[in-house]
Amino acid sequence: MTSADEPRGGSVRLCFFIAALVACAAGAPHGWQAMTTSTGGGVLRVHAPSLEIIEGAVLGWLRDGRSVRLDFELGVLAEPGGPIVAQSRQSFNVSFDLWEERFAATHIVTPPRSVSHLSRKATEAWCLEQLTVPLGQLARFGRSAPFWVRLSYRVPDLRPDGADDDPFTLQTLIDALSRKRRDNQPGKSVEAGPFHLSN
Amino acid sequence: MKTSGLLLMLVCAPLLAAAQDVDLHEGALIESAEVQGVSLDRLSPELRRDIQELADQRLSRERIAALASRIEAEHPDVVTAARDVLRPDGRVRVIFLVAPIGDDTGLAANINARYTIERVEIAGVDENRISQKLRDELQALVGGRLDPANAERLSKALEAELPDYSVTRRISRGTEAGRIVVVFNFEPSERRFWIPLPANRTKVVYHEDQGWSSVFDFRATVGSHAFSVGFAGGNNDDLIEEYSGYWLRAENRKAGTRRLGLSFEFGSYSDEWKASTLSALAASPSIPPAYSHRTTAQPTVTFAFDRRLRFSAGADVSELEPLAPSSVTQHANAVVASIDFNQTWRPESGGRQRLIAGYDYRAGTRSLGSDLVYGRHLAQAHYVFRHQHNRLRADVLVGGLSGQAPLFERFSLGDTATLRGWDKYVFAAVGGDRMWHQSIEYAFRNFAYFFDAGSVWDTGNPARVRLSTGVGYHDDSWFMTFAVPLNDNDVRVTFMIGFRLGGAVIDKR
Repeated sequence: MTSADEPRGGSVRLCFFIAALVACAAGAPHGWQAMTTSTGGGVLRVHAPSLEIIEGAVLGWLRDGRSVRLDFELGVLAEPGGPIVAQSRQSFNVSFDLWEERFAATHIVTPPRSVSHLSRKATEAWCLEQLTVPLGQLARFGRSAPFWVRLSYRVPDLRPDGADDDPFTLQTLIDALSRKRRDNQPGKSVEAGPFHLSN
Repeated sequence: MKTSGLLLMLVCAPLLAAAQDVDLHEGALIESAEVQGVSLDRLSPELRRDIQELADQRLSRERIAALASRIEAEHPDVVTAARDVLRPDGRVRVIFLVAPIGDDTGLAANINARYTIERVEIAGVDENRISQKLRDELQALVGGRLDPANAERLSKALEAELPDYSVTRRISRGTEAGRIVVVFNFEPSERRFWIPLPANRTKVVYHEDQGWSSVFDFRATVGSHAFSVGFAGGNNDDLIEEYSGYWLRAENRKAGTRRLGLSFEFGSYSDEWKASTLSALAASPSIPPAYSHRTTAQPTVTFAFDRRLRFSAGADVSELEPLAPSSVTQHANAVVASIDFNQTWRPESGGRQRLIAGYDYRAGTRSLGSDLVYGRHLAQAHYVFRHQHNRLRADVLVGGLSGQAPLFERFSLGDTATLRGWDKYVFAAVGGDRMWHQSIEYAFRNFAYFFDAGSVWDTGNPARVRLSTGVGYHDDSWFMTFAVPLNDNDVRVTFMIGFRLGGAVIDKR
């Protein structure tokens, strides 16, 4: 019944929005603390022993005898959050041998390369080992210039079918506030650095 | 001694069958053991010795399987199957057949493709609902190796036969080593409903000129029934009025048949008005007055022709309490009818297209006891094309009013979804009885560029076309937009941010 020349009730509405932003921040990807790089054979590799890919829904999917495709992307940056200077994209098929209770992975290249009888961590490490950036693409950094790496992966198989038709529920709201978008595939992305080729 | 028959058998043998092959002659005396597909030199001396020591021993499936596993453990890029060849003297030759996993597309896709299918199960529906032909195809899998591509094809075929369900495939261990059970699991899908739930109204948005608006729409579904409770806090993003309040909604999307849906919504809102709106109202006596409280009830019946097309009819009864204490309460009771179309395409060339279109008619009529008699037409279309990281969307709205429509029925443009960059309270503080709007937006990785054009005016007055453009980050829920009016007197950037749970479809109903 009052006129509303200026936006009013702002503090209450601001609280809603701040709550949303906090939830958003809570859902943001966390860094993998121990990501390192190494060079050898003319390529750059990353190592992320604390990275956990085969867990949660992915692990459940695999234990149901299904295979999971993992799409990796490794980007080299000249500065944190900067543009990608060089990158590598590789995809893998991972499955879980129900009788051996070990994992198997296939690097989707021509011809495909596969390994089996791996532990969960060994499977993750093997995938990362195939994800290389030729040192020739990093010549601009010399031996002393710092660089950063951005490692990300997606699990396209786990996108629920018919997501467009899902009814919206309280869970949908929670997902939206935590940036878990409906069309999104499970995955992570993280940056680390600085690194030096001399290392 | 290698005979041509033996060679033929080796070539034709199911090379990648389970290492724990039950076809081995348990207890038979082993004449010799050999490894095919990998040089013995590549095996560890201990493993070579253990394989060679099989000669003159009794065959033990367990022992053979353990040796096959050791070969795989030493060479994790291969799979190993064991076979034996019965000799005329009753002894057997044991052969470990080794092959790279990558040589077999099925194994490369899923390592469990090495195992033999013991049985196939259907879960979630009565098996008799599946055609005999498809059941036969499923049972034909038994005894063979799992072929992931064929299993996927069968999953799709099952979904095609029972489109109300989504089919997932699980594999579990069988009763014997090296055997597996394939389960095709049916789960009721949202596709079983021909009448979709209305888009969720939840949003929290900020417009630099208009401030914050928030709406929360909480829902629960039980079978075909859906219940929702919603709260609006100072929402001025949809209408001319700024309203706060709540609504309750119940609906059944399958009232006896999936063609028929019923819904009822009750809402109670307190209204506030900008000074510019009240001033414009004072200068326009033909427009019904502002109100302080709005109470609504909306019973609706929906008939679905198919999954894509549906027709709704019902009533929208509103009680409007006046701003001025001396005025009387007014009723805006309307008959409502709408037709809606919604379809998604996934062309083989890639990408996904979605079209949502609708026409909505509302008539305030004295036969329902309405004090305000009016007619309202609104047509709208929303199109989205997505391909990889690209998204193109286009929206069109066209509306017209006749008679004395209450303020909540009047059209407005210039908010966080329409004529972005313009402020509706500056150029059309009481909205208009005519409106058109179009928006086109292209986004790459959610970084969007858009162009809006539209006009809202009253009959008899000139229709000024307003244009705006801008950039921003727009995903399916979140947006952060910087918009600039293109034909305003001042060049200024308007900032908007927020999220909408129901997606970016503009709805001016």
